[in-house]
Amino acid sequence: MSDVLAIHGARKVFGSTTALDGAELSLKRGEWLGLLGPNGAGKTTLVKSIAGRVRLDAGTMTLLGEPISGTARGDSDVRERLGVVPQDLALYPALTARENLEAFAALHGIDRSTRRDRVNWALDWTGLADRAREPVKRFSGGMKRRLNIACSILHEPEVILLDEPTVGVDPQSRQRIWEMLRLLQEGGASLLLTTHQLDEAQQVCERIVIIDHGRSIADGPFQELVEQTIGTSRRIQVEVDGETVFEQIDDVAAELPALLDRLRADGKPIGDIHVESPTLQAVFIHLTGRELRE
Amino acid sequence: MIGTICHVSWLNLKRDYVALCLTFVLPIVFFSIFASIFGGMGAAVGGGGGSSAMGIIVVDEDQTEISRRFVEAVNSQEALDVAEAPRRTDENPHPEPFTRESARQHVRQGGAPIAVIIPAGFSETFGNFVNSGADVDLVYDAANPIAQPTVAGLLQAAAFMAAPDILMENGLEQFDAAGGMLTDDQRAIMQQLKPFLRGEQPWSGKNDEPADEPVGGAATDVAGASPPEAFQGLVVVNAIRARAVEDEDGGEGPDMTAYYAAGISVMFLLFSMAGVAGTLLEEEERGTLERLLTTKLGMGTFLAGQWLFFALIGVLQIILMFVWGAVMFDLDLWSPNHLAGFAAMTLVTGGAAASFGIMLATVCRSRAQLGGISTVVILIMSALGGSMVPRFVMPEFMDTTAKFTFNGWALDGYLKVFWYDDPGQSLASSLASIIPEITVLAAATVVFLGLARLMARRWEAI
Repeated sequence: MSDVLAIHGARKVFGSTTALDGAELSLKRGEWLGLLGPNGAGKTTLVKSIAGRVRLDAGTMTLLGEPISGTARGDSDVRERLGVVPQDLALYPALTARENLEAFAALHGIDRSTRRDRVNWALDWTGLADRAREPVKRFSGGMKRRLNIACSILHEPEVILLDEPTVGVDPQSRQRIWEMLRLLQEGGASLLLTTHQLDEAQQVCERIVIIDHGRSIADGPFQELVEQTIGTSRRIQVEVDGETVFEQIDDVAAELPALLDRLRADGKPIGDIHVESPTLQAVFIHLTGRELRE
Repeated sequence: MIGTICHVSWLNLKRDYVALCLTFVLPIVFFSIFASIFGGMGAAVGGGGGSSAMGIIVVDEDQTEISRRFVEAVNSQEALDVAEAPRRTDENPHPEPFTRESARQHVRQGGAPIAVIIPAGFSETFGNFVNSGADVDLVYDAANPIAQPTVAGLLQAAAFMAAPDILMENGLEQFDAAGGMLTDDQRAIMQQLKPFLRGEQPWSGKNDEPADEPVGGAATDVAGASPPEAFQGLVVVNAIRARAVEDEDGGEGPDMTAYYAAGISVMFLLFSMAGVAGTLLEEEERGTLERLLTTKLGMGTFLAGQWLFFALIGVLQIILMFVWGAVMFDLDLWSPNHLAGFAAMTLVTGGAAASFGIMLATVCRSRAQLGGISTVVILIMSALGGSMVPRFVMPEFMDTTAKFTFNGWALDGYLKVFWYDDPGQSLASSLASIIPEITVLAAATVVFLGLARLMARRWEAI
């Protein structure tokens, strides 16, 4: 798969704060990439620089094979193939869902003849067709989130940046949003997602990039990250004679039978055995530490 | 608990420099402005200060020693700044002295609030205590209701100062003529005057209605005068509206409605524009501006769209205000010259106000800041520009200051259309008279929008 987005050596300094310090990132065509990092790691700065809202001090970016600068104006042609879903609910609350969609469709340059079809498609896609004529201020958080995404992809972008698209919504709405995004990916779009929902990122993202202190510190599919960080070590939870025993073993296939033999040799009855699977959260903490970030 | 609340509130205020200034500096600024206006006004109309004297025109048609001495006495009044000819300019290095007509035109066009005309024959009746005194014509602009009575009073003072020798000479002559034993005729005149002096009988018009009975010369004049003219000191001031000759129907002509419609509408327009321009900051706070700028929309286009919308709102607001004035207060809006001038002024005023609002919004970091700053700036401009206090009550330097305000130019333009218009003027020359105001307001639009664009860079890529 070819890269639709590539960033090398991205550097950005705000006053005395270094937001990006040589960050690297690539997104392949049709891929769903998760960009993770603690607060202040540089995720939003990186996304904003791709969106043309932050001008890099150093580094290069290419979007769909064309070099892009940090400003939207100079790269307007190629950026028309980019969709940016902001973290804020950037909607007009007094306008209806349809009016919001129509407004952003017009601003994305969708001509009048196809605008109506695209808006109708978006209303169906978000499940808001029956609420199309209601002012957005009456919507629930989940409905607003869905509409927020829809307003950014009306022009059928090939690359979509999503900055925490599920923040503050209930599990049902989150599920619906993942389904919506899955449809976009199936339609050929490449997705770059930032999120703090690590369990969901683990499930939906094909590849993960972890960024900290403005630098990319891990990049790869989840299993690969697990191998790079936690390795084959697993925690085993065994119930022995009514008590739970924890054991850390490096190789489950080789060491688990030996562990069980040892426990059996003590003559105590063995109950449930549970091998704890590594999580993205464990990988994340392993890489970024437990120190609180403000 | 209460102490903690107070402490937290103080910390909040202390760390918000704008709020701090609004709280403590604003009252001082306002006090200073109003003190300047009204302190200066006292000097201007009461004879207090030199530099803030009221500029008036004097035309001496009598050209006698007495009239010249009278002009000198008027000139010596500290509250008055007398001009007998237009100011010298490069185009007109030797201006001709004002004539009655040129003085009237000058007043009519707002060049001066008053013209004092000393008619031929002034010296013949000057200092005559029996007659009602020498006539002086006062051509005034009804837009300035204070200047006429003020100058009329000062003329009396000047008359007393002008020629004390003449007054003494005339007084003695009249005492000699009327002194001694009163004749039957004199007694009859005295009897005849008593009811008028006591206010028991209304005075009849001196010029319009002949006295009921033929009586002696001096007494006839006095008896025939109307109350205000019956005791008018040494000079009889004939107040003449600068526009009186143009009011064919004898009506009052344009009233102050036009002035206040213009003044109030411009001030409120600015407040409205600052209010609607706050939506720019709302866009930023809501995040929609961020999203808009990731679409095909550029910042320039965004600002242009906002400006157009605000300008339309502004134009609509002014139209409503003037139509209301026309319907409810008989403001003459519908004549072709007024309508054309109004349309031109309203378009540029609405445009300039919109760009001013946008500029303010781009300067401010929050809606709270915008609310505070716009209130201060607009109130100051309105005070200086004449929206709150008519400029004719201000001293001259304040009038000059008004030229640095949006309100000053907008108000001047509307006043030219509705107040200083010439009914006989062609549409083209009527519109030509407001070219300076249109030019300045259009230039202000460009400058404000340019500044707004510059300040809006903070919303673009950082």
